[in-house]
Amino acid sequence: MGETRPLYIPVLLGTTRKGRSSLHVAQLMAHEVAKRAGVETEMIDIARLPLPTDDAGEAIKDAGYSERMNRADALVIVSPEYNHGYPGLLKHVLDSCLKEYVHKAVGLVGVSAGPFGGTRGIQGLLPVMRELGLVNIFWDVNFSSAHKAFDENGKLLDGAYLKRIDKFLAELIWMAKTLRYGRENIGLE
Amino acid sequence: MKKRINCEKCDVPMNFHAEKLVDPVNPGEEAFVDPHLGGIVEEYHSCPDCGETTSIRSGKTS
Repeated sequence: MGETRPLYIPVLLGTTRKGRSSLHVAQLMAHEVAKRAGVETEMIDIARLPLPTDDAGEAIKDAGYSERMNRADALVIVSPEYNHGYPGLLKHVLDSCLKEYVHKAVGLVGVSAGPFGGTRGIQGLLPVMRELGLVNIFWDVNFSSAHKAFDENGKLLDGAYLKRIDKFLAELIWMAKTLRYGRENIGLE
Repeated sequence: MKKRINCEKCDVPMNFHAEKLVDPVNPGEEAFVDPHLGGIVEEYHSCPDCGETTSIRSGKTS
């Protein structure tokens, strides 16, 4: 039964921009998720998804992305903040699926060059998560001045982030387990 | 009473756990609109063995 299957929690890197600091953040998050017992993960880079831009929504669904979202129990979304919002291509990717997300957990990681850690981008994502059927957790992780948080090789320079990531992942895994049980065992009245 | 859907991979009954109201996007879908709710009810079912999720318009199962 479901208890024996490992959780699968991929990390979605939500930007295609060259020189993105979010790459280091997503790699760190995937590394930290992979440390958790009974959890499998991988980083999904939206820059590598072959989605056309002359159509949108489920009409452009990518089989590989759909399969990963179908398998997922939770999702970590790493989103930079561009002009006070999340990237348009992140929305383009998210909109390509729906049933794959319903009643699954999501945790949001904001990234910004400035001092607010992507909080405005996260606020914009919250209603989108709800409409996609994803269940948001309390904890976020916010990387401020992200270009200063890592060295040129992607090594984290400020260890204080790790404690917040621990809290974030603890809640996300709890929510993932709880929602998996509910999806698979508790019927809608 | 809703019909049970079996998992395509495991052939076990799936659990019906969510509904979402969606808008029709082509004329052929108008017949599935619930007049009281103002849209089409999409049902979501998950497999207790493998976790597979599927969706179906409620008008096609009842």
